[in-house]
Amino acid sequence: MMKTTLPAGANTARFRGRRRRPGSLARDIKAYLFLAPTLVVLGIFVYFPIIESFRLSLNRVAPFGSAEIFVGFDNYTRLLGSSEFWNNVVVSLFFMVGTVPVGIAIAVAIALLLSYPVSRLSWLHRTLIFVPVVISSAVAGVLFRWLYNPVVGHINTWLGAVGIDGPEWLTSSNWALFAVTVAVVWRQLGFNVIIALAGLQQIDNSYYEAAKVDGAGVLARVRYITLPLLSPTLLFLVVINVIISFQAFGEIDILTMGGPGQSTENLVYSVFVDGFVGTRFRGLASAQAFLLAVIIVAFSFIQFRGFRKRVHYR
Amino acid sequence: MKRLRLLLGLLLAFALVAAACGGDDDEATDEDTDTTAAEEVDAGEDDESTDADAEGDEDAAASGDAITLQFWHAMADDLGAVVDELVDGYNASQDEVVVEATFQGTYDDTYNALLASFEAGTAPNIVQNFDLAAQTMFDTGRLVPAHQLMEPGEADAFLAAPRDYYSDDEGMVALAFNSSTPIVYYNAEMFETAGLDAPPPDWNFSQFLETCEALEEANGLDTCVTFGQVGWYFEQILANSGGLYFNNDNGRTDRATEVVFNEGQGVEVFTFLTDLFVDGHAPNLGNTWSDTDSVFFAEEAAMIFDSTSGARGFQENADFEVKTAFIPHSDSSERNGVVIGGAALWLIDSDDDAVNAAAWDFMRYMTEADPQITWHTGTGYFPVLASLQESPTPELATFWDENPNFVTAIEQLATTNTANADGSPNYAVLGGRAGPFPEVRRIVTEAYSAVIDGGATPQQALDDAATQANQALADYNAFFE
Repeated sequence: MMKTTLPAGANTARFRGRRRRPGSLARDIKAYLFLAPTLVVLGIFVYFPIIESFRLSLNRVAPFGSAEIFVGFDNYTRLLGSSEFWNNVVVSLFFMVGTVPVGIAIAVAIALLLSYPVSRLSWLHRTLIFVPVVISSAVAGVLFRWLYNPVVGHINTWLGAVGIDGPEWLTSSNWALFAVTVAVVWRQLGFNVIIALAGLQQIDNSYYEAAKVDGAGVLARVRYITLPLLSPTLLFLVVINVIISFQAFGEIDILTMGGPGQSTENLVYSVFVDGFVGTRFRGLASAQAFLLAVIIVAFSFIQFRGFRKRVHYR
Repeated sequence: MKRLRLLLGLLLAFALVAAACGGDDDEATDEDTDTTAAEEVDAGEDDESTDADAEGDEDAAASGDAITLQFWHAMADDLGAVVDELVDGYNASQDEVVVEATFQGTYDDTYNALLASFEAGTAPNIVQNFDLAAQTMFDTGRLVPAHQLMEPGEADAFLAAPRDYYSDDEGMVALAFNSSTPIVYYNAEMFETAGLDAPPPDWNFSQFLETCEALEEANGLDTCVTFGQVGWYFEQILANSGGLYFNNDNGRTDRATEVVFNEGQGVEVFTFLTDLFVDGHAPNLGNTWSDTDSVFFAEEAAMIFDSTSGARGFQENADFEVKTAFIPHSDSSERNGVVIGGAALWLIDSDDDAVNAAAWDFMRYMTEADPQITWHTGTGYFPVLASLQESPTPELATFWDENPNFVTAIEQLATTNTANADGSPNYAVLGGRAGPFPEVRRIVTEAYSAVIDGGATPQQALDDAATQANQALADYNAFFE
């Protein structure tokens, strides 16, 4: 936007001019002073850990202390050649496919319903929908763990009441990932609904009125007005949800601990297990964390590129 | 110019970082393991105000020459309350040393915190760490081994099993504090309904299964037993069947380089355990320490494998009478006994003899008779002192009469021989020792799923687990080549 409004070259010329002015050093120092708190926090908590974990990923680090053996890219080659790592990648992708489109679709549907205030109680509906968001993933995990318990859990008790022999939700590889997905979609739903609702409320009513006058039905209005005008919001939701799905941890830790076998072990959980559980293989964990970061960056890039032409910014 | 400004900016950033870190240091002093006696005194004085606020009666700290010790433990909830009670008892018993106990989370959390504290220079003086971490703790090189501080013969005060578990060639390295073994808790009323007597102490897998089927039939149960797919029961029943876990005599005569649980007894034991799930005798609750409880309490299963440390909890929370039995062994073996589980107290070297001596005094206190009785009766972890089992105090004798479930654990261990008939060590019940043992245990939990859910045979699953475990051993041992 900026580039097109300014004449070409104006930027650089202006800055050059300013730099030569006397007293600019003091002003720059002032600027750095203002930036310093942020830079320090980012440096300590973001940039240093990134550099350090890359360094660790090139080493084998002793589980009993800080001794290190430099192994070059051995951790990476080992990961890329191991079936466990690829299993974890596949789990992450399946999990993303399971949570993102379904989660957003449900959220948009609910937001559409909520956007038509049917009664004075719409604030209550909105609050109820949003509540799961403020529940921590740990608490949500424990709740679902109870629901899913095959012997004393509610779900299988109810299924049994109608004559269905419920599966072992968390300990059968056919169902575990699905069960975790449901828990995550549920907890993420409120956030998605609120964002979608905010997006819907941005859409001017006059479009709908015009469409109505032209004889468009409800579905046509959703298809030709709501969705296109909601597309920036949808892009935001997709990007955020993809990142969240890749980083899903709490529910997995509490519901399945990555099991049965490794059927719900996504990349983040694998990083945790290798880095912090039992015997700590920090080099290997760091290498996985790095590969995970590469994957997330790649996905975000693809999404922005892919959506650029489809997103309708007003 | 541009470079200068960049430099200035960086300098500023560094100055701020340094300032921030400096602030940290000041605060950390209280919790620090100080390297000189003088600093230790300072720390004691600093703590005075907080102690006085918290407890109001710490004369020791007020005198200004008390040594303040940091003690990290991993006992949550009710167990943690008993730890605090013991620590308060120690602080009140003398005025030279003040111990500050900090709950650090699970054993894993505590261990991670310990390693981080080595790098940050804030290591505690005493840390509680669990059985499987023994080799890793040795390898930190930051310990003062207990045998260096013990009087000759002092180690003989301990029961043989916890003494030998935490010993190296030269003697005890850590002091066993909370020791436990797995036992079978059962619903006595369901046994009665099925017309069954108490299981014999040396019951084998076939007898276990007969009992199981009788219980299911008489009580209309789907499942007779419940236990989590954790590595511990496999390790223990393997030891009870005389099988080894690692090579090099379970890693006790030299560093373990390979696991051996995928041959002989290991396969028989693992087949038994996984068949219980495959044949529907146990509900498949996955890798859990706690979900099994609700199944047992809801009377959906008549038996449960769990730690002796849960004795009090089971007894108090069940609506039915709970009794206890020994764990079974394989058909092709004689009962061999169990490996000590639980955790021990480790002395972290503070480079100051006076501080180390104070820490040692506290550790000795925690393993003395009275604290061990409080600990045992409050939890179910059994007393680690031989004298308490040979001649229990009247208080303890009464407690055991009233709580026979606490005795099962002790008898199961007392009838375990840490030496064979010919005097050679019984390595199976001494327990495996290897640096990456926690990792190996995790791999075994996945072997359960490979059989129950993935349809592999127990042999295949164990072979696969062995390959992964051997890789972990090789990675660890590479630091000692």
